[in-house]
Amino acid sequence: MWSVIEVNELTKRYGSAVAVDDLTFHVKPGQVTGFLGPNGAGKSTTMRVILGLDRPTSGQALVNGRRYAEMRRPMREVGALLDAGTVHGGRTALDHLRWLARSNRIGKDRVVSLLELVGLAGVARKRIRTFSLGMKQRLGIAAALLGDPDVLLFDEPVNGLDPDGVRWIRELMRGLAAEGRTVLLSSHLMSEMERTADHLVIIGRGRLIADTSVRELVGRFQRGVLVRSPRAGELAEALTTRGATVVTEPDGRLTVTGLDAVEIGDLAAGRAIPVHEVTPHTASLEDTYLRLTAETTAYASSPERTAR
Amino acid sequence: MIDALAAEWLKIRTVRSTLIVLVVLAVFVGLMALLAWYAAAAWDAMTPEQRSHMAVSDLPPLAEWVASLALAVLGVLTITGEYGTGMIRTTFAAMPTRGAVLTAKAGVVAAVAYVTGLAAVVATFSVTRLIMGGRPIPGQSPEPLSDRLPLFLAMAFSITMFALLGLFLGAITRSAAGSIAILVAVWHLVPIVVSHLPAPWDERIGSLMPAALAGQLAGVGNPDSVYGSLLPPLVALAVMAAYVAVPYGLAALRLNRGDA
Repeated sequence: MWSVIEVNELTKRYGSAVAVDDLTFHVKPGQVTGFLGPNGAGKSTTMRVILGLDRPTSGQALVNGRRYAEMRRPMREVGALLDAGTVHGGRTALDHLRWLARSNRIGKDRVVSLLELVGLAGVARKRIRTFSLGMKQRLGIAAALLGDPDVLLFDEPVNGLDPDGVRWIRELMRGLAAEGRTVLLSSHLMSEMERTADHLVIIGRGRLIADTSVRELVGRFQRGVLVRSPRAGELAEALTTRGATVVTEPDGRLTVTGLDAVEIGDLAAGRAIPVHEVTPHTASLEDTYLRLTAETTAYASSPERTAR
Repeated sequence: MIDALAAEWLKIRTVRSTLIVLVVLAVFVGLMALLAWYAAAAWDAMTPEQRSHMAVSDLPPLAEWVASLALAVLGVLTITGEYGTGMIRTTFAAMPTRGAVLTAKAGVVAAVAYVTGLAAVVATFSVTRLIMGGRPIPGQSPEPLSDRLPLFLAMAFSITMFALLGLFLGAITRSAAGSIAILVAVWHLVPIVVSHLPAPWDERIGSLMPAALAGQLAGVGNPDSVYGSLLPPLVALAVMAAYVAVPYGLAALRLNRGDA
C-alpha cells in the first residue's frame, strides 16, 4: 500500500525550542491513523507543517507526493480541521463556508449540503461568535469536507463535543476511512483512539515513540497469561519445554509469556494437569500509552505535589 | 487569482467593520451637511459688516481626511483581524500562495477605498454646495463640480494609498494598534514636525508627505497647510506609488518568510 502523507526527517524549531525533532512517519489510505502524544508533543506543529502553514527547519512533509504549498486548489485534495477557533467570529457560518468554497471553486450546493451534514443548517445565518465550542468544531469539520478531499487531517476534533458529538465524529471518521480516504486524527486521549483508529503514530517531545497498528501495540505490551494450578511446578516445566517463559509469582501463580491462553489450556489438558485459572493479562492501551509517553511528557505534574 | 479576489471580496463584504466604516463616512457627510446648513443660516442673519469676518473652510478636504483614516483602519483590520483570530491559518490553508492572498486583499481594499473615498468627497461637496447655494461665503470656492473633479479623483487616489498602507502595515506588524499608531504618525504627526524644519527643508520634505500628494497630483498644490507643493503631478503620482509598492514588498516578504 502506498503512503499518502509522508513526513520525512522533519525538524521544527521555534527559536531554541525544538517542537518536532527528526520525525519520520507515513500515513496510508483506507484507515484512520491516530496521531497521539501528550500536550506539547508536537502534533499540531507537525500538522501545520503538513499544511504548509509553518516552515520546517529541516526535512519535509508531502501529501500525494507534493508539498501542500504547491497545490492550486488544496481543499479538493486535503481537508483540515486545525483548531476550531481559526474563524472570524463576526461572520455567519454560511458566509464562512461560502468564501472558503469560492476560494477553491467549490459549488454553493456543497455549502448547503455540508451545513446539513454537520447539523448546522438551522444556525447557518448566525454569527460564529455565538456558537458553542462543539458547534465550532462541527463548522470546522464542514469546512474540511467542503472540497470532498481524499486526505483529511483533524486536530483534536472531539474537544468540546458532547457524547453524541463524539460518537458522531467517530462514525464519520470510520466512514471516511471505509470509503478509502486517508484520515489522520490527532488526540492526546488514548481512550478515544482505541475505538476510532486502526493505526497509531505516537510522539513525545517531537520524537517518534511508536508507529504501529493498534493490535500490535496491545500485543507488544501484553504482560503474559496468569495461570493458577495445584501442580504449578509440573506445569511450569511443561510450559518451559514448549518454549514459554514462566515466572513464578510470590503467591504461587505463574506468569507465562510466549504462549497464549488457548495453548496453555490445551497443554495442561494433554498432560492432565488441573488448572484453576487462566487469565490473559492485557495491559490496557491507556496504560501502554502512558508508559510509552511517561518519560517525554512536556508538562508533567510533579507527583510530590499531587500526592497530598 | 480570480478565485482569491472573489474569496476576499466575499470576506470583506461579510464583516461588520466594513459596514461600520461606511456608516462612519455617511454620518460624516451628514455632519458636513449640518455645518453647511448652520453656516448658511448664520450668513443669512448677518449684516454685511459681520459677513466680512466670516469664513468657512473648504469642506471636501475634511471628508478626504476622515475617509483616509477610516479606510486605512479598514485596511489594517482586513489583515490583523485574521491574525488576531487565527483565521489567517484557515486562509492560507485554503490559498497556500500567500503573495496571491495579499494581492487579492490589496485589490479588494483598493476598490472599496477608491469608490467609497470618492463618494465621500463628492457627496460632501455636492450636499454642502446644495445647502449653501450661491451664497458668496468666504472660503467657499465657486467652481462647479467639473472643475474640482480632478482634485477629487486625486483625493480618492490618496485615500486608496492610505488604505493600502494600512493593509500592508497590518501584514508587517500583525498588530492593529501598532499599525494604526504608525498610520496616524505618517498621516499627521510627522508632517507637523516636518513643517517646523528650517527652510527650505520644511517645503522640500513637506512635499513628500503622503497626505501632501493629492493636491500636487491634481496640480492645485497645498495652500494654507503644513504641506509643501514642490512636486509636479507625475512625480507626485510616482511618490504615491512608492508609498504603496515598498510596504507591499515588505509585507509580501514577511508573509512568505514566516510561519502563519
